[in-house]
Amino acid sequence: MNENFKISPSEINKIKVLNQKDKNFRLESLKLFNQQGFPTRNHEDWKFSDINQIFSKNFKNLESFKNEIKPKSINFIKEFDHNHILMVNGKLENSEFKFEDKNKIKIKSYNDSNFSLNNVENSLINLNNALSNNGLFLEVADNYKFEKAIIIYNVFTDDLKDNLLNNKNKIILGKNSELHIVEYNINQSKNKFIYNTTENVILNENASLKTINLQANQNEGFFYKFSKGKMKSNSNFSSFIFSSGPKFNKIDAEFDLEGENCDCNIKSALFINRDKHQEIKTKINHLVPNCKSYQKIKSVVDAEGKGVYQGKIYVKDIAQKTNAYQLSKALLLSENSEFNSKPELEIYADDVKCSHGSTSGNVDENSIHYLMTRGLSKKQAIQLLVNGFLNEIIGDIKSNSVRKFIENKIEIQIHGY
Amino acid sequence: MLVIKNLKASINNREILKGLNLKINPGEVHAIMGPNGSGKSTLANVLSGKNGYKISGEVKYLGESLNDIPVEERAQKGIFLAFQYPLEIPGVNTNNFLKTSLNTIKKAKGEKEIDTIAFLELVKEKAKELGIDEKILSRQLNVGFSGGEKKKNEILQMKILDPNLIILDETDSGLDIDALKIISDGVNSSRSEKKSFLVITHYQRLLEYIKPDHVHVLSDGKIIKSGTSELALELEKKGYKKLN
Ligand SMILES: Nc1ncnc2c1ncn2[C@@H]1O[C@H](COP(=O)(O)OP(=O)(O)OP(=O)(O)O)[C@@H](O)[C@H]1O
Ligand SMILES: [Mg+2]
Repeated sequence: MNENFKISPSEINKIKVLNQKDKNFRLESLKLFNQQGFPTRNHEDWKFSDINQIFSKNFKNLESFKNEIKPKSINFIKEFDHNHILMVNGKLENSEFKFEDKNKIKIKSYNDSNFSLNNVENSLINLNNALSNNGLFLEVADNYKFEKAIIIYNVFTDDLKDNLLNNKNKIILGKNSELHIVEYNINQSKNKFIYNTTENVILNENASLKTINLQANQNEGFFYKFSKGKMKSNSNFSSFIFSSGPKFNKIDAEFDLEGENCDCNIKSALFINRDKHQEIKTKINHLVPNCKSYQKIKSVVDAEGKGVYQGKIYVKDIAQKTNAYQLSKALLLSENSEFNSKPELEIYADDVKCSHGSTSGNVDENSIHYLMTRGLSKKQAIQLLVNGFLNEIIGDIKSNSVRKFIENKIEIQIHGY
Repeated sequence: MLVIKNLKASINNREILKGLNLKINPGEVHAIMGPNGSGKSTLANVLSGKNGYKISGEVKYLGESLNDIPVEERAQKGIFLAFQYPLEIPGVNTNNFLKTSLNTIKKAKGEKEIDTIAFLELVKEKAKELGIDEKILSRQLNVGFSGGEKKKNEILQMKILDPNLIILDETDSGLDIDALKIISDGVNSSRSEKKSFLVITHYQRLLEYIKPDHVHVLSDGKIIKSGTSELALELEKKGYKKLN
């Protein structure tokens, strides 16, 4: 472990701990982290994203906390009506539910370390358990269906530099409830910093959660998010990941399908340019019969960019009639672009329908030629093909206004390819 | 309009066009026939400016050498190729593509760009003339189009982009009789003193609809015989073997 990244136990004194038990848990977790260090490629889960090396290259020292600071003015989304939650550097600032029955929504700043994942393997979770002092707790009452989406504005202030921020979120949907979240990251810092999140999502019977993850701009942030989901029977989860933008981003999602007839969808369209590094890692655990999971990851990698998809589908012996699908497609725009994919099936039931696949390749020269014979420059032709490639995912967003908004955001990114 | 002198083209160290000569005047329709693999599509590709060929000889378009002109500039200058196998472009909306293409060409010509409403009217009119179901134009470009729909879509693009030199590579293959008639009408109504056509086909039938001024036989990378539409009839009866 890079000695510079060791964190002194005295750091924990800076946190307003709940009680001695909390403090001990944090100290214990920190000790584990200091033994483990940031994960290296020797760890199977980090095979293609040696975060220890990446951090060593980009940071000399890390500062664990940040004094509170107000963000510069924020460009709130005006294109469609929404409720909002404002998080600044991972801390809940304010929220407004203009369109909703407020009695049905519980929201508070989250710093309850009873939520212990105890995933000793993953040192970033240990680090998070030790140091997280902020976050969001959101609970939707049984039978309540949101009128409008919530946009979670995740704002990072411009004075962040070499900071290591840890935060924890928890989202609980009651029975028969429905919610649509757009997580919109606005990064005002021009400097490098690390944001380490663990998130816990619980969908009770018949609940439905749709999420969209989107970046407002290109930035120098290093993001890691571990997300653990639990799905009860007949619940429905659908997520779109458009997380291009940060210098480093790894989304690590693990879902337990615990009740029958649930449906878990993960779709992603990534545009990875410059020397950016993005990974999506998923683990879908089919623990009971009759559930469906679907994953489609499309990535465009340009310049020195690097993309990774590691997806595992686990089907327990009793999980008959499982229907699981997983596909990763990557388009490489430059000789130096790289994409690694590791789809995995681990199946112990015999009556299941599972398929997986992955492809990666260059843009088809004949297609470029076809478009150029219609007057388009090579650059225009490639942009159109890239757009088309990602559109297969973006086109699935049902709300017209949200889809248009995202199309624009992605178009801007691609335009600068 | 187009003058080709001693054109040779090779790809992957294989010579495909082996010294081809051809002259097309404004307003003329030339047909090229020839056995499979004789180099017809290669000629069309080379004229479109496709990369990857090693080329010698001279190709002049409107008095200007095309040798160093890239693909998109040729298109902007009015050269249009209707592909033998139009490509499927997933995720790209046909109408959006057509509009981008038209406006890029207009811009290059120094003309004013067309707005969406005027464009949609234009497409609607042209699609109707060609008997194209407008619904397919809001779909992804050529994706899942039937063979005939793809060919019609090529002619639609020709009509909208309004080029001067039009190369039709086996546009008639795979068309039913009615579609053949519609497409031929589409071509005929575009004929003018300023436009020239190079029609590549295997079938004399198309040439009954689109009357060529000249018919050439391309064999093994060279034009081995030229004549009037009589030649096409003769070929239909005797085949290529009996030539010479
Ligand atoms: N990239 C390539 N590498 C090697 N050979 C090629 C390549 N492209 C074409 N050829 C060969 O060149 C010859 C001419 O091909 P071309 O497509 O021009 O024929 P064509 O006259 O259009 O035939 P058809 O009537 O079947 O359409 C063929 O033998 C073909 O296999
Ligand atoms: Mg051909």
